[in-house]
Amino acid sequence: MASPFSPASSLSPAASSSSTSGQPLVEKPPVPPVNILPSPTSQIYSFVQPTLLLTLFAFRFDALTANPARELLNSLPWVLLLQLSYVMVCLPPVGTVPSPSSSKVTDTGSPVPGDGERKSAPRSPSSPSVALRPGKPGYRRKQQTGKNVWAGIWAKLMPAFLSLALLSLLATPVLAILLVLFGAPLTTQNAETMLCAAHMAVLSATALIYVHGVDGAAWKEVWGFALPADTVWGGALGTGLGAWFGAIPIPLDWDRPWQAFPITILVGAYIGYAVGTLVSRSPFLYGKRIRFAPEDNEIAEKKKN
Amino acid sequence: MAAFPSRWTTLVANLLVPLGLLAFSSGFFPYKPLLPGLAKWEDDAPPAAPFDKVIFMVVDALRSDFVYANDSGFLFTQSLIRSGAALPFTAHASSPTVTMPRLKAMTTGSVPSFLDVILNIAESDTSSTLAFQDTWLAQLKARGDRLVMYGDDTWLKLFPGMFDRADGTTSFFVSDFTEVDHNVTRHVPRELAESDWSALIMHYLGLDHIGHKSGPRSPFMLGKQHEMDIIVAEIYEAMQQKPHLQSTLFVLCGDHGMNDAGNHGGSSAGETSPALLFISPKLETLGSRAESPVEAFADLQYYRTVEQADITPTLSGLLGLPIPLNNLGVFIPELLEMWDHGSQKLDVLSRNAKQLLNTVKATFPGYTFDAKDTASSCSSGADSGIQGAQCAWSRAQLLLQSNADTSDSHTMIESALMQFSKIAQEVMSSTASNYDVSRLSLGLLTVAVAALLVLPATYVVCARSKHPGGFLVFLIVGYGLMMFASSYVEEEQQFWYWMCSGWFFYLHIRPKSSRARSSWMAQCAGPGLLLCQRFLRRWNQTGQKFAAEPDIARTFLPQHPNVLWSLVILTYADSCVHLLWRVPRSILARLGAIILVVLAFGFKLNFVASDSPELLEGSFLSSVVAAYPTGLSLVLHARLVFFGLACLVLSALFSRDPTGSAQAPNKLLHEPLSLLLMTQSRAANIPLFLVFRIQVVLLSSFTLTELEVTITTLIAQYMTFFAFGGSNAISSVDLSNAYNGIGSYSVLLVGVLTFVGNWAGPIWWVSASHLLRPDEAPVARQDHAALLTFHVAMSVISVMAACTALRTHLFIWTVFSPKFLYTMAWATVNHIAVNLVGGAGLAHLRSK
Repeated sequence: MASPFSPASSLSPAASSSSTSGQPLVEKPPVPPVNILPSPTSQIYSFVQPTLLLTLFAFRFDALTANPARELLNSLPWVLLLQLSYVMVCLPPVGTVPSPSSSKVTDTGSPVPGDGERKSAPRSPSSPSVALRPGKPGYRRKQQTGKNVWAGIWAKLMPAFLSLALLSLLATPVLAILLVLFGAPLTTQNAETMLCAAHMAVLSATALIYVHGVDGAAWKEVWGFALPADTVWGGALGTGLGAWFGAIPIPLDWDRPWQAFPITILVGAYIGYAVGTLVSRSPFLYGKRIRFAPEDNEIAEKKKN
Repeated sequence: MAAFPSRWTTLVANLLVPLGLLAFSSGFFPYKPLLPGLAKWEDDAPPAAPFDKVIFMVVDALRSDFVYANDSGFLFTQSLIRSGAALPFTAHASSPTVTMPRLKAMTTGSVPSFLDVILNIAESDTSSTLAFQDTWLAQLKARGDRLVMYGDDTWLKLFPGMFDRADGTTSFFVSDFTEVDHNVTRHVPRELAESDWSALIMHYLGLDHIGHKSGPRSPFMLGKQHEMDIIVAEIYEAMQQKPHLQSTLFVLCGDHGMNDAGNHGGSSAGETSPALLFISPKLETLGSRAESPVEAFADLQYYRTVEQADITPTLSGLLGLPIPLNNLGVFIPELLEMWDHGSQKLDVLSRNAKQLLNTVKATFPGYTFDAKDTASSCSSGADSGIQGAQCAWSRAQLLLQSNADTSDSHTMIESALMQFSKIAQEVMSSTASNYDVSRLSLGLLTVAVAALLVLPATYVVCARSKHPGGFLVFLIVGYGLMMFASSYVEEEQQFWYWMCSGWFFYLHIRPKSSRARSSWMAQCAGPGLLLCQRFLRRWNQTGQKFAAEPDIARTFLPQHPNVLWSLVILTYADSCVHLLWRVPRSILARLGAIILVVLAFGFKLNFVASDSPELLEGSFLSSVVAAYPTGLSLVLHARLVFFGLACLVLSALFSRDPTGSAQAPNKLLHEPLSLLLMTQSRAANIPLFLVFRIQVVLLSSFTLTELEVTITTLIAQYMTFFAFGGSNAISSVDLSNAYNGIGSYSVLLVGVLTFVGNWAGPIWWVSASHLLRPDEAPVARQDHAALLTFHVAMSVISVMAACTALRTHLFIWTVFSPKFLYTMAWATVNHIAVNLVGGAGLAHLRSK
């Protein structure tokens, strides 16, 4: 079954970005976008999951306003479970996505689709800009034989555990630091800040780690905000952007309990995640990168020289 | 777009913006003429005054229900109301319900306009006085009587030299509930024993402090009411027993009320309804007994409601004084019964009416109040507005001329005079708060034309580079929308911190040049900028909602003076290094630069040692300060610093370094400017300049485009204004450095120094924008000016539109009008004078 969000070939700028930027990025081919697995279960669950998350959030909102820290702590395992089930059902695990560092593709402009690889390629089959090479032959062999079900599950569980470990070790502290840099209190409410960061990490980074693993090139693009739009990156961006916009109601003088620090940020993050993860799959956005008018920069550079 | 028309449209737009502001202000702050001098009796002596002394007891924020309702602690006072010895009223206090304008209303009888309030606060502590205005205190003083005052030192600021004995308490420490009132009460027995004064004024602050701290339902409230009631009882007993207090009038009143949160300043029922009682054993004979206590009302209008300004003519009449010239109050008729004869009552009322007529004539010079002229047009029966006042006056005159001395005609004339006085009061009070909507629209239209003029240039620039252009549009639209919500105006700093974080984040993710991409510095510049921004954000807590939370400048640094002074020394040292780097490479110039920096630091140290020595206590510098030459006065010291800076500026402007090794003059000028701004900043804010330096270094690693430099410095200007502790409240204007080097008061110099002190951050960033700018092509400079003008015009339009649309809003005088005044300062001084004129000067230097 074809993905309902198959991108039109003309709208995939992954290739064009490298050709127009004036800087031949031969040594660093861009990371391709990732799509939901084509199976019906995956497709359906990919819509159910954000709805489920938002429903859970709305349902527990009163408890959250009453005691943010406790509710955030209590709900964290459930949100984590939801996210892990989502990535394992809907997304291709690390290694099945061709990463530039592992596939050693130098010319990203010419996809080399092979017949046998179609099945294992988890992305939308009609995405032309993506090199449809398997990441590691070992995975393909295991999946092709089909007899070793446990190996397939293991291939999914491994990155899931990786997500879990990296989430708690890296993503949460990094997001907590970002929250503080963007104005979260530092001397008080540390528990709330950490838990807010943990929730945001679960929302944004679970899928990123599950799909990209510890691939340095992919994470460099995360650091530089250069990943192509897909459901994973869209969810992460939406979480961050939503959290930024979530700060808006805090200064209002309404004196409502939900105006306390982490609550509006989290509302923004959850809504942003749901919107981001869905919108970025639309054909208008899928595969596009956040690109900045390169001429500006070039003019500046010319003037300097 | 060609450069030529763009330059001219920007110029015209910048001429239109101040014109629009002027037109808007004239409609928003109506001018009200003040009659100068003291009132005198015209010909005949007044009727014998029933009282010769007054005890004026103000309890700050004494809301009417605190005295009158059945859960009040004023039990003795309520017994006086029952016996008729106290006449109770609710005195309507108009907005702004803060102490100084309320005292002005109660003593001059006028309704202070918002502009009065601004002028009072904006002027220096010593010049915000009523010394040259006609008040009942000035009338007593002119009669040769003595006055004494205990309590809130606002009275001492308002009436310098008025009191023979005084002990002011400051309302600075709001958490003090007992000491502040004990300071007043301890003087009371002694003063009651003295017989030399004619007016004893007491102003208790404790009840207001309780309100601010924990609201009207505070557990401390009832105890404080009991305490005040005991003082009332003590005074009343003295009035009964002591012969020299036989003819004393005791006035107990609140200056304003409080809302349910315990705050005041606005115009809700709680804030505008203080209690007012006239107390004297003599009043018992009038037989006007009232029920007390009474059930609590939601609208708080207990007994009869009078205007707070009515206190002035009533006191003047009862004490036998001429009514102050600018009074808008009407004699409270209940107290007319103190005179036995109808002719005496008429005399009191007609003096009040004549005085009101004079103020009306001064405000409406085009109208005549001659009975013959107006009698014909009054048949239609206008009973309000200026025509109503004319008719009422002519009716009263006709009745007076008939001159029949019967009680019937007295009552008729009394009611005619009262009618005129009421209409006159209404007319005059509404001129103080009426808006001229056509002028408001004219102002809006003028600035809208200015915005349209620079729109094409702005559009071209924004369309050329989409992302930063889009960010600028988002910023302008967001800022405009924000101006319509009172909380966002109060918390404007949050908007700029939020925008600033967003913008630095954009700078981090925007594409970098190939050189910058590989540079470790450029990769870390984004997080570094965010870190600096985080420090700036927490340096001074400002606004309303979070203002009391701990911050760096007011909580952390005073507790760690060693950290503070290390940072200050580091900032000055950094400034010194930059200066040495910029000045011509001669021994003399370098030595001069070092001496100048040491002198500037010495001034700061000297200033802190004399102004806020607690910042030095326990620091490693306290011994240095102890050994400091005490002969060097602060004024002279500041002048030396300014002189040195002037020399440096002149040498930068006129000297030509023959070796060509010196830097561009605009870079050299940046250093004395930094030193000047540091001199004009509070000591705890000086390390901010170090943070700015780091930010400039980080920003320069980005190789920003012209538009990005414009946006960066625009955000930085606003953001740093708030980081220095500024806000949109008039009370946050920092005057601590406004008198540096000034011997005698001079409006212009103090104004300039106040601006420099409060806008230190924005001025620094205007200069820094020229350091960041990649290239100073004339076209780029015009684009920069057009963008800044567009932003200023749009912000002025949104503030004006908010003030026009919300002119009946509860917070118009407390939130939106101060914001409008700040916008005027931003648009005229910061935008036109500093950004455009100063920026053009720097650019000229650069191209030299």
